[in-house]
Amino acid sequence: MRALGSEEPDPPAAGEFEAALEATRSSRENTDVPVALELADVTKRYADTTAVDDVTVRVREGEFFTLVGPSGCGKTTTLRLIAGFESPTTGTICFRDADVTGVPPEDRDIGVVFQNYALFPHMTVGENVAYGLKFADPPGGVSTEARVAELLELVDLAGMEDRAPDELSGGQQQRVAIARALAPGPDVLLLDEPMSALDAQLRERLRVQVKAIQKQLGITTIYVTHDQEEALAISDRVAVMREGSPQQSAPPQDIYRRPATRFVAEFVGDNNVFEGEVVAVDPGDGTPRETTTGTWTGTGTGTGAEPTPTRLRVAVADAQFAVDTPVEPGGPRPDPGDWLTFCVRPEHLERDPATNAFTATVQSAEFLGETTRVHLEWADQEILLRTHDPLEGEVTVGFDPAAAHVIDWGR
Amino acid sequence: MSAPGPTPSRSTPDGPASTDADSEAEVGQGGADDGGRRHTHRIRDGLERRAIVLAAIATTALLVVMFYWPVATVFVESVVVEGALTAAIFLELLRDPFYFGEFARLVRGESPLAVGTDLLSSDRRLGIVGFTAYQAFLSTLLSLALGLPLAYVLARYEFRGRRTIRSLTILPFVMPSIMVAVGFVATFGQNGTLNAVLSALGLPTVSLMFSLEAILIAHAFYNAPLVARVTTAAWESVDASAVETARSLGAGPMRAFRDVVAPQLYPAALMGGALTFVFTFGTFPIVLALGGIQLATVEVFVYQLVQDLNYAEAAALAIIELMISLTVLYGYLRYEATHTVRARGIRPLPRKSLRPPTRSARDLLPRAGIGVYAVVALFVFVSPVASLLYRSVADPGGGLTLAHYQFLLDRQAGGAAFQVRPWPAIRNSLSFAAAALAISLPMGIAVSVLTTRRYRGRKVIDAVAMAPLAVSGIIVGIGLLRGPVFGLEIGSYRITVAGAVAIVAAHAVSCYPFVVRTVAPGLESIDRSLLESARALGASRTRVLLDVELPLVWPGVVAGAAFAIAISMGEFSSTVILATGTDQYTMPVAIERFIGRRLGPATAMGVILLVVTSISFVIIDRLGGESVGL
Repeated sequence: MRALGSEEPDPPAAGEFEAALEATRSSRENTDVPVALELADVTKRYADTTAVDDVTVRVREGEFFTLVGPSGCGKTTTLRLIAGFESPTTGTICFRDADVTGVPPEDRDIGVVFQNYALFPHMTVGENVAYGLKFADPPGGVSTEARVAELLELVDLAGMEDRAPDELSGGQQQRVAIARALAPGPDVLLLDEPMSALDAQLRERLRVQVKAIQKQLGITTIYVTHDQEEALAISDRVAVMREGSPQQSAPPQDIYRRPATRFVAEFVGDNNVFEGEVVAVDPGDGTPRETTTGTWTGTGTGTGAEPTPTRLRVAVADAQFAVDTPVEPGGPRPDPGDWLTFCVRPEHLERDPATNAFTATVQSAEFLGETTRVHLEWADQEILLRTHDPLEGEVTVGFDPAAAHVIDWGR
Repeated sequence: MSAPGPTPSRSTPDGPASTDADSEAEVGQGGADDGGRRHTHRIRDGLERRAIVLAAIATTALLVVMFYWPVATVFVESVVVEGALTAAIFLELLRDPFYFGEFARLVRGESPLAVGTDLLSSDRRLGIVGFTAYQAFLSTLLSLALGLPLAYVLARYEFRGRRTIRSLTILPFVMPSIMVAVGFVATFGQNGTLNAVLSALGLPTVSLMFSLEAILIAHAFYNAPLVARVTTAAWESVDASAVETARSLGAGPMRAFRDVVAPQLYPAALMGGALTFVFTFGTFPIVLALGGIQLATVEVFVYQLVQDLNYAEAAALAIIELMISLTVLYGYLRYEATHTVRARGIRPLPRKSLRPPTRSARDLLPRAGIGVYAVVALFVFVSPVASLLYRSVADPGGGLTLAHYQFLLDRQAGGAAFQVRPWPAIRNSLSFAAAALAISLPMGIAVSVLTTRRYRGRKVIDAVAMAPLAVSGIIVGIGLLRGPVFGLEIGSYRITVAGAVAIVAAHAVSCYPFVVRTVAPGLESIDRSLLESARALGASRTRVLLDVELPLVWPGVVAGAAFAIAISMGEFSSTVILATGTDQYTMPVAIERFIGRRLGPATAMGVILLVVTSISFVIIDRLGGESVGL
């Protein structure tokens, strides 16, 4: 089994299918790097709700790990459990190998940045950054003043020590908060929606800056956001959360290309999700083989070491689509009669396609600059299409079988 | 406002140009037949447009006649003797050890060292001013000691009735002070409930009447809830994220409190302390009833001097008192300006349950402390009111009786003309309060509108309008007596404002700052785009106020009205001066007349005042629809 470093999970792939195969491999864990943080079966229940439901997560040293999901999905509670502001109802939290479940936040070696910055309003910028150095010696044996100057330099605010927090702009305040969190040299940096109070442009700039600082320091970082685009842009690995538990934890490319659930497929980016019955399974030699018993006799039957491309024929509404999916050797596979969910990204829908053609009606179009998002209707379902051409009336679209991604199937 | 025709320019939507534009538009559309209607329309329109300006002018006039003129009169009386400007009266006062104790020797030129050593000795003389400051200082300490724990409980614990208690902290502030004084006499008097309870328990009785302790406890009754109120608000605006950040950076719980929470509480506690000092420095009815003449404070003595018709000395003493109060207030405001921090986007600290989650000392100790505090609080805050109610129906023999109320009825039926009768007192209180409300509500709203808009000089207007809050009722009372009541001679006419009119105006002046306090913060927080939308849709400034702003701040308006009623009903200091020798006495004045001779009828009158005030409060609240939003 190949283990790829999480830094370069996306070598250029010849085709979509190869990319999908690549993604499968890269989502496997990199076991060379030690675990920095582990949540084992962590549950947090309040009086009448379960905020975090049996979460198991492992974050490796130096990893930029993001929790993303809609509001109320438990991502912030998870962060607060890691910080020690809340204690789990059940389960354990380990930093490196040490169980910190009952340890108060001040003894955890963490740095926290909140959405509202939470700068101490009665202290100057310098006093804010120096605050954590009252309880720990500055790393590297330097003086407190030197450490404060060093961190303000790092966040591009050199010389701002004597300013009051409310003299700074939102973006500057957030950078002070980051400097303050980093000053004592914590093991883990926790960021709770740090950008959501800033405007879009600033957010993108700060995002690049945060990522650069994180890379430079190599600090393990847990990042919470509701913005999926931000999550994809900034992270080494993303956990998409819903109703208290992660739906999928994987590198951004993998989350985007191979969503594990329908929720992930629809939460991350635009997507077209189709559901239909599997009517045929073709092992790949070009001859559809109808099976009803589930007995597998095609090629690539689990003897090889690599996943085998398998073509499925799926009946969706009045149409039949060909869908290619890799089947792991010996792994589960769809059978005729199964109800299958798959998705096709709008950018993979083609006009005048070679395969899987269907005719849809144009509803509306949004010009987005580099592309136009067209809303189509087909079989009582909204279909999204990315194109540069002006479209109206009836259009014929389709997709390459390899561009489809199978999410799930069952009886 | 699409006005066709020859409309040259429209400078501002409120300005005369726009009014002209409107009327011209009407001519164009309606023709000459509608002339009369158009005329009334125009007057109404013009009045409406200028309603805020008119209210502001009326407010200014009332303030000048009933506040600034009287206060100025007092000031002039203290520095002008027989037509010549002199500081003699002040110097006389400052050199008199009767007023300034050992400090007077400093003014007379003695060495500060000698005075300092004498001050440290046990038989030092503080004088009346010194004693007043001393008791105010002790009252402040006691109020902080009782108020801060309450703030801690209200801000950090969740329990049934928390909101109710939080709302109740406003109550002492609006309780008629003379009624509270009667409550304290009923509690601490020789035959008071405290001694009754002590002797029932087989303990020795105490004599707290006419003692400093009784005054301090009564002051704490008033001011500790105030301290608790401002500190609770500050505590609730501490951002939990800031505390959590401190914890994440390595601070333990106590350290995080010291570094992050406490610095945000100091300004509030200091504000509570400064206000307490100022209020208790100017204390009057409490000391009058509880202290007697041997514990007289400046204000009581000023009243005494007024009774003796020694106006000049009374005025000078009152001015000195005012100067000391304003110095403390100014010092506080300077501090506040440099120490206030804005809170935004905050997530308040979570509240804990009063039931200890574990049996550890960390959970049990604070809660045990709260239990002890609850007992003390019950004694300080509940016993005066309970005693008042109990003593009004208590029989000296130990049973219950309605004799005290019967006494009031008899007095009503057969009292002599010079005697105080209950019904006129109730009737006067109610009608004065209604009239004061009718004046102070529009006044307060107008001032709120003027002080929440941004323009140069706003702070000056704010200070000028809020000054009645800082100047004691006694000064205003003397001033009214020497100014408007005495009258202004113009030619052969003498214009006087006296009797009921003077009392109502004085009440309105002391009520409306409370309307401002409850309405202005709401107006301030209204999103400006709401007002701008309404203006863009064609509403005049006054219409915006009536249609958009007031409905949004309605709970504040209702609260302001309730305050105004309560303040007017309880007003004592200036009323007692203005009502002397007339039949315009109110319930608090009647209580004061009774208290010296008969405690029973005084308590009965106190209960009536309590009931009438409470009913008015409830009616205002119900009429307002919304609950008091405080």
